[in-house]
Amino acid sequence: TKWATSLPRYPNTNMALQNFDAAYGLQLGRLWPSVRCGLLSQKKYGALLNNFCDHRAVVSDLQDQGCGDFVGATQLEAPISPMGPERGGVSEDMADSGETEKSHGGNQDSTPLSLSSDIKCFVFPRGDITRFKSARPDQSRLLSYYLLDAASVLPCLVLDVQEGHSVLDLCAAPGGKTIALLQTQAIRFLSVNDSSVSRTSRLKNVLHSFIPNHLLSTDRLRVTSLDGTQWAEFETNTYDRVLVDVPCTTDRHSATEEDNNIFSKIRTGERKRLPQLQTDLLLAGIKAARPGGEVVYSTCSLSQLQNQYVVQQALQLARQEGIHLQVVSLQPLVHMLSGTFNFAPDLLLGEMVVPHLTANFGPIYMCKLRRLC
Amino acid sequence: QHDHGKSYPGQPVARELSVRSFLDMGFTDTQAELLHDTVSKAKGSAAAQQTLTSLTALFVLGLNPSSVLKVLEKCPELHHIKESQLTQRINHLRKLGLVEGSLQRVVAHYPQILTVPVKRVKTVVLFIREKCLFTVQQVAEIIRDSPAVVLEDLGQLEYKFQYVFFRMGVKQAEMVKSKLFRFPLEEVRCRHCFLERRGLYQTPDKKGQTLIENPKLSQILHTDRETYLVDIARGTAEEYDTFGKMMAREWQEEERRERDIGAD
Ligand SMILES: C[S@@+](CC[C@H](N)C(=O)[O-])C[C@H]1O[C@@H](n2cnc3c(N)ncnc32)[C@H](O)[C@@H]1O
Repeated sequence: TKWATSLPRYPNTNMALQNFDAAYGLQLGRLWPSVRCGLLSQKKYGALLNNFCDHRAVVSDLQDQGCGDFVGATQLEAPISPMGPERGGVSEDMADSGETEKSHGGNQDSTPLSLSSDIKCFVFPRGDITRFKSARPDQSRLLSYYLLDAASVLPCLVLDVQEGHSVLDLCAAPGGKTIALLQTQAIRFLSVNDSSVSRTSRLKNVLHSFIPNHLLSTDRLRVTSLDGTQWAEFETNTYDRVLVDVPCTTDRHSATEEDNNIFSKIRTGERKRLPQLQTDLLLAGIKAARPGGEVVYSTCSLSQLQNQYVVQQALQLARQEGIHLQVVSLQPLVHMLSGTFNFAPDLLLGEMVVPHLTANFGPIYMCKLRRLC
Repeated sequence: QHDHGKSYPGQPVARELSVRSFLDMGFTDTQAELLHDTVSKAKGSAAAQQTLTSLTALFVLGLNPSSVLKVLEKCPELHHIKESQLTQRINHLRKLGLVEGSLQRVVAHYPQILTVPVKRVKTVVLFIREKCLFTVQQVAEIIRDSPAVVLEDLGQLEYKFQYVFFRMGVKQAEMVKSKLFRFPLEEVRCRHCFLERRGLYQTPDKKGQTLIENPKLSQILHTDRETYLVDIARGTAEEYDTFGKMMAREWQEEERRERDIGAD
C-alpha cells in the first residue's frame, strides 16, 4: 500500500524557502504567493532552434504540436521603440537614493531597442504544460534544438549582436546563452569563459553538439577557464558586446533541489559573498567592453541584492574609474513579450521575468548598459 | 402502527401491483403510473414481489412517497434486494449509531448504501476505527456525512487519512467536522498543495505549531472554487487550472516511480 507520512526533512530547500519568504515577501508583496508557487512547480522550457541544422521538419513538427517561436512573433510587429513613461526619471530616482551619482541618471536611452537577429525559440502557449521531447541529432550529428528556460534567451536577444561584432561571454557554462548568441551568425570573434574547468569542458561538448566545426576554429572562438573578476588584467576596452551571466542563488534550483544547494550550511559564506562577486564580474565585463560597446548583466534570481543593487554598485565603481554608462531601457521588450512572459512591475533598473504557473519561466533578471566612454 | 385507510404492501390485499395500489400507498397519480410502469417492465411476480419488499422497507424507514420514488430512481438495484437483507442492513446501520432522522437522510441521499452487504460495512468501520483511530461516535458521523466511504477502496481511504493527518496536521475531530471523506483525494491534495506552494499553508511541527495561521480544513474544502481562489488561495482560475494539470502529472510520475521501486 501507499503511505503518506509527514514531510521528509529537506534542510536546504527549506532554508532557501525561509529566506525567500522573508526577502521576496517584502520585495514582491502580493505577487509573492503566485511567484512562489511557480518556483515550486514544474518549470517550462523553450526549444532554442539550431540554425545550423536543417530544421524544417522539426519546426513543422513543433508547430503541429501547437508551439510557436515567441521571438519571431514579436519581430512581425513594428520596430521596437521605447514605450510608456520615460525610464530616465526612474534612473534619477535611483540616483537620488545616494547609491549612484546623478550624471548617469539623465542618460536614459531613447533610441529604439534593437535585438539580436535570427534567434528562434519555440514555446507552448500559456497554460499548456506539454513537454518537449529531447532533440535528436540530424545527419551532420548536430542537435536541432537546445532546451532551456525560454526566458534565458532574453539577455541574448537584448544584447543586440550585429554583423562583425566581437563578443565576450564571461560566465558561459554550460552554454545555453552561448548557443543562442551563435545563432545570429553575425559574430566575428567570440570569447567564451567560465572559471570552472569542469563546466568549461561541458560547455565545449555542448558547442560541438550544436555548432559546426568550422565555426569553432580558434580565429573565431576562444574558450578560457579564467576567473572573470580578473579579466581586466587580460583584456580591456575590447568587445562590442559583453554578456555577464553571473553565478547567483539560482532560486528555482535552490527551492526544489537538495543537491548542490547554495543554501546548505557549508555554503553560507559563498552565498553571502555573491553580491560582491557579481559586482566584480559586472565591473570586469564593463571594462572589457569598448567605449560605445554594450553590456548585459543577468541572473536567475529574484533578489534585489543580486540584481538592481549589483548594477548600482558597478555603475558607481565604474564611474570612479572614469567609465560612464547609460542604462538602456528594456521596456519595449517587456511590452512586446508580456504575452509570453510575466514581467515584474516597476523595477528601478532592468527587467525581470518572474515565474507564474501559466507561463512558468524564470526567474531571469537582466539589465542592459551602454558604455559611453 | 400504520395509518388507517392505506393498505401497505406485504399485506395480502396488495399482492397485485396496480396503479390503484400505488395510489393507496400515497403516491400521486404520476408517481403511481411511473412505478407501475417500472414494475410491469420488470415482469414476473417475483420481480413485483421484490419491488414490494423494497417499498415496504423504505416506508417502514419513514420515507414519504416522493422520497421513496426518488430513492428508487437513484438506485434501481433496490428493486432486486431481498427483504431480509434490506432489513438486516438497515438494522446494522442503526446499530452503528445512525439515529432516526440521520438514517433517513443517509438513505435518501445515498440509497446505494442499502446495496452494500453488512459484512463490507463492518470491514470498513473496523478499518476506520483501527487504522485511523476514529471513535465509535466519529465513525457514525462519518457514515452519516459521507456514506459513500463504505464503497471506497480501503487503501485510498487510508492514504487520504494519512495525508490529512500527517501532511496537513489535522486531527480526527476536525476531519469529521469538515466532512473530509466526502471529497476525493485528488481534490483535497490539489487544494492543499496549491496553498502550501503559495506559502499559505504549513505542516505543523511536533508541537502542532506553525509560523503562519493555516486556514481550517473546512474552509479549504467547503468553499466553492471561486471563493476558495479569491479568499483563501488568492490566486486566479487560470493558475489553479494549470496547477491541477501539473499535479495530475506529478502524481502519475510519483506513482510510476513507486511501482518501479516496488518491482525491483
Ligand atoms: C548562471 S551560470 C552561467 C550560465 C550560462 N551563461 C548559460 O546560459 O548556460 C554562472 C557560471 O559562472 C561561473 N562562474 C562562477 N564564478 C566565476 C568567476 N569568478 N569567473 C567566471 N565564471 C564564474 C560558474 O562556473 C557558472 O558556470
